[in-house]
Amino acid sequence: MPGVHQFIPTYASRDAIGTHARHVRAILRDLGVASDIYAEGISPGVPRGEAQLFKAYPDRSDAVLLYQLSTGCKMADWLVARPERKVVNYHNVTPFTVFGAWEPVVGAELRRGREQLAEFAPRTELGIAVSHYNEGELQAAGYRRTTVAPVLVDLDAVAVAADATALDRLRQAKVRGGVDWLFVGRVAPHKCQHDLVKAFALYRRVYDPRARLHIVGGSASHAYSTALEKYIRALGLHRNVYLHGSVPDGVLAAHYAAADVFVCLSMHEGFCVPLVEAMRSRLPIVAHAAAAVPETLAGAGVLLDLKDPATVAAAAYRVVTDAALRSTLTEAGLARAAEFAFEHSRRRFAAVMEELLETVA
Amino acid sequence: MTIDHKRLLAEIEEEVRRKRESGDLPPHLERELDIVFARYAPVRALDGDFDQVLTRAEQATFIDVLAPTASSRPVIPHVKRVLRKSVVWIFRYVAQQASGFNEAIARAVRLLGTRVDALEEATGTRSIAPLVAGDGTATMPDAEHWLPVLVDALRDVQGRVLHVECGSGELVRALVNKGVDAYGVHAEGAPADAELDIRIDGVMEHLGKVPAGALAGIVLSGCVDRFPKAALLRLADQAVARLAPGGVLAVVGTDPVAWERDRSPVEVDLGAGRPLHAATWAHLLVERGLHAPAVHDGPRRRPADVPDGLGEWGARIDTLLFPPASFGVVASRPR
Repeated sequence: MPGVHQFIPTYASRDAIGTHARHVRAILRDLGVASDIYAEGISPGVPRGEAQLFKAYPDRSDAVLLYQLSTGCKMADWLVARPERKVVNYHNVTPFTVFGAWEPVVGAELRRGREQLAEFAPRTELGIAVSHYNEGELQAAGYRRTTVAPVLVDLDAVAVAADATALDRLRQAKVRGGVDWLFVGRVAPHKCQHDLVKAFALYRRVYDPRARLHIVGGSASHAYSTALEKYIRALGLHRNVYLHGSVPDGVLAAHYAAADVFVCLSMHEGFCVPLVEAMRSRLPIVAHAAAAVPETLAGAGVLLDLKDPATVAAAAYRVVTDAALRSTLTEAGLARAAEFAFEHSRRRFAAVMEELLETVA
Repeated sequence: MTIDHKRLLAEIEEEVRRKRESGDLPPHLERELDIVFARYAPVRALDGDFDQVLTRAEQATFIDVLAPTASSRPVIPHVKRVLRKSVVWIFRYVAQQASGFNEAIARAVRLLGTRVDALEEATGTRSIAPLVAGDGTATMPDAEHWLPVLVDALRDVQGRVLHVECGSGELVRALVNKGVDAYGVHAEGAPADAELDIRIDGVMEHLGKVPAGALAGIVLSGCVDRFPKAALLRLADQAVARLAPGGVLAVVGTDPVAWERDRSPVEVDLGAGRPLHAATWAHLLVERGLHAPAVHDGPRRRPADVPDGLGEWGARIDTLLFPPASFGVVASRPR
């Protein structure tokens, strides 16, 4: 049986694509297939031997090369020219026009990512998308054979007990009154945390002057993060909007437990794992209906076509104050999150891999 | 229990409308939030506003030679200050030349912008510039006739309605009185009513800022009688793109025959823009994917000094001699 080896632009232990690649490797090894992970870059902290630099890949003409495509990189140019059969697992590429305005170098990488997506199309056996939205992009890029298999995130494994100190601190703040908005995701231009701040500013002015906004996630753009901090300060919200950065799982669980509403105003999401985490944590969601967000929520949240601050604020207020709606959203969210249970997703991905192996055998 | 999303969104829209009406949501608050963020956004992330971008470029011509010296470690600030002091004269010498060069470029671009403005105005290709000065309020021909027609066409839409070149806001007021979440834009100088959400902005500039599919209704008037042909085509593109599925687009314009008849020969001959026929608007809207445009004739205006009572033939002659001076075209975007 041929080996299936994965290639990933940058391998990190904790990010969604790195975690996904690890689960894929486990699935393949359980199927009795040789599988290793190769990367152009490996983040610090990755245990030795978990992934190797792609230059170390030994030529194996009978192997299948599975590329986790999420951005552009030099390794992809090398990969696309190789003679082995190839499969693309597409996680989506952020629109470069949005990111490039803030980070020109990253923008150029993303532009290259879109080009490489098209270059892989005629040389690929199968395109695996993590959402139907992404599958549409694969088909538009010329992929003849495509399928959908959700991103592999073991929510049970990350659903650790909430950090007691963090939870206590967040609940203490509630004693003074005011609700807590939460958004989880990298601080990046396409996640539009600035729109979140606008809507929150209006919410405080119109509905709840004691409300707090928690933005959890590391920075993906220094320029954007800096501008966001200045913006928050210019609006006089620096005591009410908290940029927590990347936090340990226990602290993240505390945020999900203490928040009153999860608000997502991203302009582009290929899947959005935090939405599933919020649903699983019984947290009602208000979100802008952009890219794959409607598909991920599947009606289990308040979806807004527009994200003008007044509408977002009114929607959040409604979710926070309408007990019946809140209860319905919570139940619908739990049911939707269950559809992304790790065992379901794992079985689906294993089935895709088995079918692939039969085809190439 | 399932969620009726359509109803929920309608209730949220209604809540927003109530807040706007009560004054809890001041008309300019959202725009101010945008303006503050624009101060910190890079030039490439700004809208295509030439003046705003050039102003930011001019601000960036200054090069600060005094590098920050702060550090979390002891002694380092002192070392940095010593280093800065020892080399600052070199940086100042280079920075003065670089700043001078930057200022010269920015000035040249500013002058170029002024010349392009003048050129666009002279050739009639500047979409937002009125070619013949108007009084800023007469934006809709036969307004008293069209107000009830437009209110009727827009009263049931779900979402925001924009009146482009709304003048003093008569239509906006009429719509708001019927419970529609309406606002207007008008060029600088139009009388602003503090109770209404009327924004001082150019037509194309404003539409450029509105997200695609964001409006439930758009009324175009005024500018449709004045813009050059190329600008009218762009206006049609922009307006249709901003319309939400199921949204309604209405155009109220002056009939070209009446326009020529009622204006001075100089204005007719030298004006770069002129109105389109109702049928042309209907064609343009269908071409851009709108559904079943309805064309309405405006009232006929018979001069007072022409005697009537000539019977059926007289009425027919009237129809030929005095066609409606205005028209309305109402179309909707398929859901």
